[in-house]
Amino acid sequence: MGNLRTGHLVEGVIWLSLCLFLYAYSFEFDQNIEIYKFGASSWPRTIILLIAIAAIGQLFQHWKYGDDTSSNAMQAANVDDAEDAAHEAHHESLGWYLSTFALLVIPFAYMRVPDWIAGWVAAEGSTLHILRIVCAAILIGLFLTQIKRNMVGAILTLPLFFAALLEDMGFYSLAPFFIVGVMYLFGESRPKPMIAIMALIYGLLMLLFVNILFVGLPVGNIRPFYDIGSWVVTVLQ
Amino acid sequence: MEVFNNFLNGTITLFSDPLGILIFFGGVIGGMLFGAIPGVSMLTLAAILLPFTAHLSPEHGIMLFSVIYCTGVYGGAITAILFNIPGAPENAPTAFDGYPMTQKGQAGKAVGAAVMCSAIGGTVSCIIMMIATAPIADWAISAFGPPEIFALVFFGLAVASSVGAKTFWKGWLSILIGLMIAVVGLDPVGGIERYDFEMPYLLAGIHFIPVILGFFAVSEIFVQAEKKAVGSYKAPKMGVEFPTLKELLAHKVAVVRSIIIGFFCGILPGIGATLAAFMGYNEAVRWSKTPEEFGKGKLEGVISSETANNAATGAAMIPLLALGLPGGALTAMMVGVFQMHDMEPGPLVFINSADLVWVVFAAMFFANISIIFVGYLETKTIINLLRIPFQFLAPMILLLATVGAYAVRGLTIDVVVMFLAGVIGFFLRRSGYSVAGIVLGLILGKIGEQTFAQAMQMLHFEWSGYFDRPIALGLLLAGFATLGGSIYGSFFKKKKPAATDPAI
Repeated sequence: MGNLRTGHLVEGVIWLSLCLFLYAYSFEFDQNIEIYKFGASSWPRTIILLIAIAAIGQLFQHWKYGDDTSSNAMQAANVDDAEDAAHEAHHESLGWYLSTFALLVIPFAYMRVPDWIAGWVAAEGSTLHILRIVCAAILIGLFLTQIKRNMVGAILTLPLFFAALLEDMGFYSLAPFFIVGVMYLFGESRPKPMIAIMALIYGLLMLLFVNILFVGLPVGNIRPFYDIGSWVVTVLQ
Repeated sequence: MEVFNNFLNGTITLFSDPLGILIFFGGVIGGMLFGAIPGVSMLTLAAILLPFTAHLSPEHGIMLFSVIYCTGVYGGAITAILFNIPGAPENAPTAFDGYPMTQKGQAGKAVGAAVMCSAIGGTVSCIIMMIATAPIADWAISAFGPPEIFALVFFGLAVASSVGAKTFWKGWLSILIGLMIAVVGLDPVGGIERYDFEMPYLLAGIHFIPVILGFFAVSEIFVQAEKKAVGSYKAPKMGVEFPTLKELLAHKVAVVRSIIIGFFCGILPGIGATLAAFMGYNEAVRWSKTPEEFGKGKLEGVISSETANNAATGAAMIPLLALGLPGGALTAMMVGVFQMHDMEPGPLVFINSADLVWVVFAAMFFANISIIFVGYLETKTIINLLRIPFQFLAPMILLLATVGAYAVRGLTIDVVVMFLAGVIGFFLRRSGYSVAGIVLGLILGKIGEQTFAQAMQMLHFEWSGYFDRPIALGLLLAGFATLGGSIYGSFFKKKKPAATDPAI
């Protein structure tokens, strides 16, 4: 095993599995192009081959030198400090990874589950909107219960959740809650500064992008969020 | 003399028109401001303004974008230095040493060096652009076909694999991820759908702006969040001490070297300021007697990167105006401005719209000069952003990034992609991969594949055709030599323990 650790092997397996998946999927578009004899798949397959070679090369380097490596002065000079934060935080255990990935599933669940349920119960129009609001409420509740257990996982998930809700609930309705949520996850718990900063940030963004630059931001598809977003735009423009 | 007269005429035209003056200063301040606000960039401003240029004259529209280009490239250095968030990919190497300088309380010195060197690099490049546009364009047309551009992309990626990651293999894997992301969408020759997973959104490919925002701005917030959560977060120290003239003069060789590198990278279509900045930085390390000090807050790192990327801005206008080939995202938007006015950039512009060309050249020259004055004043204001506690700054950055990602195409899925890129970037960074490498791979990937296909068609699919093209062959061999040296180094050289200084 040389200096190889389980983490190195997991990293190698992830890379090689990715190569396998991407290579298998490349048959979906493996078509000839009349004027180009290499076809549509040769370029991505070359990259896949290079990824596989690099992954094996990395495994070999880990086998020979373990973690105590940096290939030259350039690289040694530019190592990211994110690694150190991970070490300090003890965020490298399997449990932490599983808990984080479970949290990260929540936004994607919102993007898929309401449509699946709507398909089963043939929900349309306002029923579908209510279904989406209920799903969002359940998932928000689930998210809130997990915050204390995995703060970093919650910070990674919150922006994705915000983005997933954006289409339905709009920027104008969600932004104030998002601002407060981020401040809270970053350790701010005093209500008065949180409300004041939230109002300041929201006000500045609205003034700059809606009032001055007329940037169209998502107003949402679901009532009452759509009405709130439209009202804000009407008032500011 | 003819050049000077044309420049004088352009200057008079520019400053005799009140609307022109207003647009010029609007562009100068807007470019710097959007370049300097964490989470958005000059591209965000340009994307927002693009539809409105239809109401301006072609001179004003193109002039506005060229001014934003000059000052925006500088503005991106401010966020790179203060927050480790490059305003654009070309500012990424600036963060390697700029951010550690901020953490040491030398933010003012780093920003001051960026101001001076951006202005010097940009102004010199502008002067060369005015003098040498015609002969250089002629040379580039005859000497640089698709094989040479592909070879240059390959060489650039081979060099960039040594930047930002923990090991050569991680650097190379980072670039390959970027290349793979660039594959998503329609293939450049036959228009065949690749890796679209039957999602209509992916047919148009993954836009680079949300990915850049995610990998740089969002992942940085996540890294800081983790530090906050474990109590290891250190607020950056504030300092407004600008570099002395003596300190700047001590780096004159680095400045001249970076101007040359920046200019030649900028002149090549599709390469532009990003590779210029990386190569400027790389060469600074390679020529340095103390390479181990880079990445730990060395002034020369900031100087080399910022001089090179601004030196590329003037040069990037040459292929755009002479050949109609955009060198990057912003110059591609300029093509859009031309098209909105029923014009096509290219050699005919010099004949049919000489006034436009010289107004643009004059505006770029004065925009670079104005970086010194407006830059110093603005920097003194912006540096105070460091006083804001990070828990209040983080939501602002995330929301600005949200607006920036959404404004590009008006799609909420771009916001999802940005935050997903942020999460992926967070995990890759903690494993020692380079987000700068991914972004470079993404940007150069499309150009690389397109020029490779064109080159092979041109060479009738005979690899030996490269032997008849000395520039392309030389660049390919240099790329292979760089890769070979790095592979040898990774397996057979005695290893040094990795430093733990903050960088990208």
